[in-house]
Amino acid sequence: MFKRKRSTEDFAAEIRSHLELEADELRDEGMSAEEARRRAHVEFGSVQGANERFYLRGRIRLVDNVLRDLRYALRSLAHSPGFALTAVLTLALGIGANTAVFSVMNAVLLRSLQVTDPTRLVYFRTSNVPKGTGTISSKETFSYAVYEALREQHSALSDVMAYVPLSVNKVAVRYGSQPEEAEGEMVSGRFFSGLGVRIPHGRGFSEEDEKDHAPVAIISYNYWTRRFARDSDVLGTTLYVNGVGFTIVGISGEGFEGLEAGGSTDFWIPLQNRPELNAYGNAVDDGKIYITNPTWWCLRLIGRLVPGVSKEQAASALNPVFERAAFIGLGSPAAGERAPTLRFEEAKGFPGLSEEYGRPLRMLMTMVGFVLLIALTNVVMLLMARNASRQREFSMKLALGAGRRELLRQLLSESLLLVTAGGALAWVFALVSTRALASWAQIESSLAPDRTVLSFALAILVLAAILFGLAPLRIALAAGPALSLKTSAATSNTEAGRSRAARFMVALQMTLCVVLLVGAGLLIRTLRNLENTPLGLRVENLVVFGLNPHITSVPQGKAFYQNLIGKLREVPGVESVTVMQERIGSWSSNNSAMTVDGRLPDVPNGSSRTVRSNVVGPGFFSTLGVPILAGRDFADSDTPTSPHVGIINEQFAKRFFPNQNPLGHIIGSEYGQYQMTVVGVVKDHKFRSIDEEPIPMAWYEYAQIPIAGRMDVELRVHGDPLAILPSARKVVQQIDPNLPLIKPMTQRAQYDLTISSQTLFARLAGFFGLLAVVLVATGLYGTLAYRVNRRTAEIGVRMALGAGREQVVWMILRDSLVLTAVGIVAGVPLAFGMGRALSSSLYGVQPVDALTYALAIVGVTLVAFVASAAPASRAASVDPLKALRTE
Amino acid sequence: MPTQENNDDRIAILQGTLDILILKTLLHGPCHGQGVARSIQRQSEEVLFVDHGSLYLALQRLEDKKLIQAKWGVSENNRKARFYSLTAKGRAELHEKTSQWKRLTRAMGLILEPQENEG
Repeated sequence: MFKRKRSTEDFAAEIRSHLELEADELRDEGMSAEEARRRAHVEFGSVQGANERFYLRGRIRLVDNVLRDLRYALRSLAHSPGFALTAVLTLALGIGANTAVFSVMNAVLLRSLQVTDPTRLVYFRTSNVPKGTGTISSKETFSYAVYEALREQHSALSDVMAYVPLSVNKVAVRYGSQPEEAEGEMVSGRFFSGLGVRIPHGRGFSEEDEKDHAPVAIISYNYWTRRFARDSDVLGTTLYVNGVGFTIVGISGEGFEGLEAGGSTDFWIPLQNRPELNAYGNAVDDGKIYITNPTWWCLRLIGRLVPGVSKEQAASALNPVFERAAFIGLGSPAAGERAPTLRFEEAKGFPGLSEEYGRPLRMLMTMVGFVLLIALTNVVMLLMARNASRQREFSMKLALGAGRRELLRQLLSESLLLVTAGGALAWVFALVSTRALASWAQIESSLAPDRTVLSFALAILVLAAILFGLAPLRIALAAGPALSLKTSAATSNTEAGRSRAARFMVALQMTLCVVLLVGAGLLIRTLRNLENTPLGLRVENLVVFGLNPHITSVPQGKAFYQNLIGKLREVPGVESVTVMQERIGSWSSNNSAMTVDGRLPDVPNGSSRTVRSNVVGPGFFSTLGVPILAGRDFADSDTPTSPHVGIINEQFAKRFFPNQNPLGHIIGSEYGQYQMTVVGVVKDHKFRSIDEEPIPMAWYEYAQIPIAGRMDVELRVHGDPLAILPSARKVVQQIDPNLPLIKPMTQRAQYDLTISSQTLFARLAGFFGLLAVVLVATGLYGTLAYRVNRRTAEIGVRMALGAGREQVVWMILRDSLVLTAVGIVAGVPLAFGMGRALSSSLYGVQPVDALTYALAIVGVTLVAFVASAAPASRAASVDPLKALRTE
Repeated sequence: MPTQENNDDRIAILQGTLDILILKTLLHGPCHGQGVARSIQRQSEEVLFVDHGSLYLALQRLEDKKLIQAKWGVSENNRKARFYSLTAKGRAELHEKTSQWKRLTRAMGLILEPQENEG
């Protein structure tokens, strides 16, 4: 098979030699030289035909053999359809689940950005931002002054690009007459060219666009598809963003959806200097927007390394410039203040997303690997059991002269057939579940199993094919031709029946099953705990939506919301109305220190001075249903001219007013601009997310603080919260027809979003646990059923010799239970490891949770019982006479 | 002298029997393809007709099965030719096939001419 093949040239030479020899001989017989040559040719027939037949010979035989092998394999699998179906489904589930999780993991962790040479792109990171600055993220955002200073440096970075969203969520846009919302970003002029993002339609931005704050926009491929149905006439038309017109000049290439974590940017505009287009949709602070406010660090920066420069070299080259630039407009650093430092991080994958999902995904990958291992061992076990029972068939074949190679080929083609069918089904399963997983994970970017995933799945398949093909061969060959001479099935089956490999695999499966069940149990209990966490407020019947009205002055903003609250209160079905600056349950909060009675409070060593604050409207706590422990709620009578009032929570009172009555004390913002008298203390409740720990909080009254612009409106209604939205929308549009409701949803749904990744994680883990149980059960059942079948004669003998039915049942069960016990003993320590790895994802449950472990152990034992029950009862119903007669 | 025109009475060799004829021919010593063809025709008193194209493929098949081996050499009249010789495996095969053939022809004979064998 592996010897060098004879060449067609060699064969042709042999035929030429034949013709010469024949001609020689004919000449010797008296023919003329000319006639002899002609005759030799005629006698031979078609020389070319012979050559062609030689050439085709090897190939036809190969195709023939393969077809024959496949036909044979198909026939032999058709003889045991139950086995074939179990094996194919097992493979499909194991490989399909693996591919799906790998696809999502790939998208989040491995897939680089859709940009040119992403390995040289780096995110800017910092530590020790100057005191007195506000950041979006204290490690990831920078001031405009820093951006301006760093972009001038070309020694280490060839490009520095800045980008900042126009809003926390979506920004109000209008195309034609329809008000709607979209995700928009302001970017620097070199954003697209520096990243190397293609703009196949229209043009990109230039540095002039940035300098002139040009009214031009580029829309994303997805937005173009979703909103404009890929109409190329959209170029040159106007998109209104917060009422400002932008000409659409370009459409970005497919696959680029911006650099913001998780989200997908719909459009980009050059950095603007209009107050109504401030970064993050913030109201103008003291006449300053993001460009002119040195204390607001809100820009994200990404740079391209000069070839040959490492990110460490770039950081040390740029740090001196950065340290100076960080204090532009801030004076000089305070005594003893740590100098801000700059560092770079590789821009692979989505920022943030890999931190949020990376760890859970790696855990899921481990789990899915276990499931795959169970699936693989399942099929190997099934094949081994099957081949063991076919020993006599193989022995007969060997005796009849079949070579080892033929047997190997036959086994391989059976495996190949199984793996191909399983693989095809797995691929379909993967496609469907990847889509489901992506929407579950709320990754909006287009997710499909890509080529890397395909090759990964294929690698598993090839490995499976080899593994499955070879594992049973050992048994087949060990049998040898002599076995066919033995006549009794009872004697020929005992050796393989106790196969150590099969027992090892059952124990391994039980081990993995315990680990998976413990993991799933811990995560599901975490989810239960999260779902049942008291929020500290009556969340039912609450509905929330955002508004971003066009506001140019603080009094105008106050008037707008006062008017709106009044009108909404009159809507039938509305019980109460309030507003808030930060939507509760949306992860966002303002954190800062606060003064107490005119100075920053002393705190015991090690504890934090941080206070979360929010700016809210009248009746805030009564609307939410948060109990007021002392004092009063905000009221309509709190106005800009009345005494300024604030409300604190229990934690604030405990930490900063220990053993005092906080009512009547004065608290204020960190630098003392805003002072207010504490008029109420409310019970602790969840603010940012479900899984947060309570920390000190304070609330300002919105009428008394000079902020206006984007706010969220909270309604407490009678009946179904979402049913009120059409009337609420009508009220809003009576005031401003261009104003969309931003992210309207029930308050419960808003809180649930904060545990969406835990929910996903727990559901997937539960799914894998279930899958493991199903696979282990089918595998064990299949193996035992085969074994009992083969031991029919032995059981018959035992019963004939006086063994009772209970003894026979016990004999079968004992085997499974011993293996299960081994699996549990091995699995529990492994599960400890799993629990420790999961500990950061757990909430309200310890990694060593007795109940979870007990349930997992009961679970696998139950699986072993159920899977063994049917084969055991079949063994018990063996009729000894019949069993012996069939021999 | 064999010619294409007057050989209607010649018998095309049955599939499978060519192999045994080749092996038998090579029992006398190494020979090239043309020699094998001639030898078969001559020994069968020109009754068996060897298709030369099939002969070379049969030789190749036997070589693949390691029943014969081949190497290039020089014929008596100084022509380059590929010489085939029997391997031990080929010798055993010939032995087995010959006895099979004998049993087959005897059985065929018994059926086709039963009277002769009654006594």
